[in-house]
Amino acid sequence: MRAYALRRALGLLPVLLAAVVLTFVANQFVPGDPITTLLSDRSGDTALEARLRAEYGLDRPLWRQFGTYVGGILRGDFGLSFRFASTPVIDVIAPGLLVSPLLAGSALLIGVPLGVALGIFVALRRNSLWDTLVVLLLVAGTSIPNFALAAFLVYLLSVRLGWLPVAGWGTLSQAILPVLLLAIPPIAYVARLSRTYMLEVLQQDYIRTARAKGLSRRLVVYRHALRNTLVPLLTTIGIIFGGLLSGTFVIETLFNIPGLGRMAIQSIFARDYPVTMAIVLLFTFFYAGINLVVDLLYGVIDPRIRLGAGRAGRA
Amino acid sequence: MSLGSPVRATLAVLASALLAVVAPAPGEAKVLRTNLRADPAMVDPITYSELVAGDVMKNLYEGFTEIDKDGGIVPALAVRWEANPDNKGFRVYLRKGVKFHSGREFTAKDVKWTFEQILLPGNKGGLTLTYLKVLEGAQEIQEGKATQLSGVKVIDPYTLDVRFTRPDVLFPIYPFQFMDSGIVAQHGADWHTKVSAGTGPFKFVHWKRGQEVRLAAHKDYWGQAPSVDEISMLIVPSYDTAVSMYEANELDVIDLEAIQARRVLKDPKFKDEILAVPAAQIRYLGMNQNLYAPFKDKRVREAICLSFDREGLVKGLYGGAGAPLYGQITPGVAGYNPNVKPIPYDPVRAKQLMAEAGYPDGKGLPPVKITCEPTFKDELAYYADQFKKVLGMPVEVEIQERGTFIKRMNAGEVPFFPWGWTADYPDAMYFLSQVWYGPSPYNRSRWKNAEFDQLIDRAQGVPDAQARYRLYHTAEQVLLADWGTCPLVVRMQIALRKPNVQGVRLTPFRFLPFNTVKLN
Repeated sequence: MRAYALRRALGLLPVLLAAVVLTFVANQFVPGDPITTLLSDRSGDTALEARLRAEYGLDRPLWRQFGTYVGGILRGDFGLSFRFASTPVIDVIAPGLLVSPLLAGSALLIGVPLGVALGIFVALRRNSLWDTLVVLLLVAGTSIPNFALAAFLVYLLSVRLGWLPVAGWGTLSQAILPVLLLAIPPIAYVARLSRTYMLEVLQQDYIRTARAKGLSRRLVVYRHALRNTLVPLLTTIGIIFGGLLSGTFVIETLFNIPGLGRMAIQSIFARDYPVTMAIVLLFTFFYAGINLVVDLLYGVIDPRIRLGAGRAGRA
Repeated sequence: MSLGSPVRATLAVLASALLAVVAPAPGEAKVLRTNLRADPAMVDPITYSELVAGDVMKNLYEGFTEIDKDGGIVPALAVRWEANPDNKGFRVYLRKGVKFHSGREFTAKDVKWTFEQILLPGNKGGLTLTYLKVLEGAQEIQEGKATQLSGVKVIDPYTLDVRFTRPDVLFPIYPFQFMDSGIVAQHGADWHTKVSAGTGPFKFVHWKRGQEVRLAAHKDYWGQAPSVDEISMLIVPSYDTAVSMYEANELDVIDLEAIQARRVLKDPKFKDEILAVPAAQIRYLGMNQNLYAPFKDKRVREAICLSFDREGLVKGLYGGAGAPLYGQITPGVAGYNPNVKPIPYDPVRAKQLMAEAGYPDGKGLPPVKITCEPTFKDELAYYADQFKKVLGMPVEVEIQERGTFIKRMNAGEVPFFPWGWTADYPDAMYFLSQVWYGPSPYNRSRWKNAEFDQLIDRAQGVPDAQARYRLYHTAEQVLLADWGTCPLVVRMQIALRKPNVQGVRLTPFRFLPFNTVKLN
């Protein structure tokens, strides 16, 4: 098991390295000159321009800039922000560092169990009115964009009824709407998957055997069928988490939550490339991290995977 | 449903983390809640160089003078000043009994110290540095050859002499932010992350990056002491969110961008809560005669200025949050001339002028690009369309990334562009001497006129404000009579305040300090 874990962890290194190279290269292709943008109405001050160019290391050859960039990342130093002149990127993003993973994580922890419960509920009532109704809702849940739903709910619950705060971060009531809105797509997604998986599992021979033995329906569903429904679901957690992280961009902006998502949007509009690059890298890191956890859990649950990992590659 | 214990443990950790992060904030009695569009870039007067930072810091720091609610200049930390006969310096008499946030008294040595701190090369002096370069001895400090500023002499605690290398009659009105010279000794070099060192009506409490800047009343303020106990400036980058928060009573005062203000201006329920003031920002059309030969003909320039409808532009594109601009000084900025002649929208006369210049219906005009950055793409499309329709001018629209565009304008490489300039200090000299004065690096359309330059040179040496304004008016007339530019529009600043909030002062230079604000 340890060898398997190590293999999987090492497998992440090329991914992270590729992300570093790509963000750096992409930054070179962005048109315009960050120092001129930073100076704006003082762009005629050549002495100041030279000082800033040196401070940001932009006066050096590209390969040295790349070396400094990679070396800095290894030390946890992402360079200096353009928008917040002379301020290290790390100081800009540190206060919001855990907000997005926390939001995404909370939505995941609410969304997945709810989705599973809902999926099983309708799988057991296949082709009933309940089934049709819930499936309809699930389709709506995946297809209505969350910003539209957010605008509607904020207007209704916050502006009109005054039940919940419009925006902000600091109290539990401020977290309710954003987490809920983030959780809706995964609920719908997981429910549809678990409905399908459950229906499939229920057709299996061992379920019929279990029933034939005279076990209660409850026991058959929750002990025998559920486990095998959860295994394929586990693989989708990584994808769901990725979707949630990108969902934070919109939700954090709408609800004015000081996380990396809102900061990414702000930094893009303010052309604060070092901050944008750092956030892209961090999101890659979070995403890769959750996939590693999923892979490891999968190995724990299904021994075939960790034993055959050498040959089969990715789980 | 059975969840495995690792999952349960994760759930518990996440739930407690969520609770820890969203712990309730303590409530305060009289807190004015307002918005900032972004985090301030800094809260340090030495490196100060940015708009949002200015919105915060004007509540904390003061200069020799300040502006009143009509944009007029009034004494603040200086009570009066006398220009030297050669205009290369001032004697400044400081206000007595002014207390810093630390409780120490403000005196002449703090002025000298502030200037020196901004000039010291290691300190990365910001915007204020621009205004100090005129001081004698400034260069020596900047080059590391001196640490004492020879151009500032402390006569007594309330009197000082400043000496310049060239005449600069505007020195007392520059937006200085005087700091407590004892602050570093008391709080260390990173003092500005903990306290404020000013004399303003509010003092710094905290800055939670991405969330809030909080200020508290400075009870010993020399002027009108604040009526509110604290100001909570919430960082709300989305204006839509800010408006929703305002509607839900989560904010008392909000400021809005003109373009986003359309929704608010149209909505009758905000009617009595709107404040609108023209911004201290000129907008102009740059026509570079070196790059496009037809611009050399004054009739062509005039025709261009007559061929678009300023009123329509304001109504259509600005949603009413603007006003036509007919000169190159905006209303509310000292030196503004209310008698500048309106420029009509006159397509017939414009066509006739083009024909007189030898380009009937645009025939014979070489193609030209009209350029701007993405923010103004709609406005740009309107101008291009009008020039094509009315004058038959072969104009191509070009949108360029901001940094590239600014660089090209500075280099004098953009033939045709709409652009603007925002005043940093409350005097029309800012517009005239930076955008239209020949030697200025920001004369981006390269319009040059010897008479105009002479008038500006003369005005720099006239300490009497009224006499100086007369020179501005003459210079502005020279520019307009030559059709050196087409003034475009002036943007309105829009703010909302709840009916229970009184004394909010919105000026061409944004909000004044909130010490006059009362919450009922």
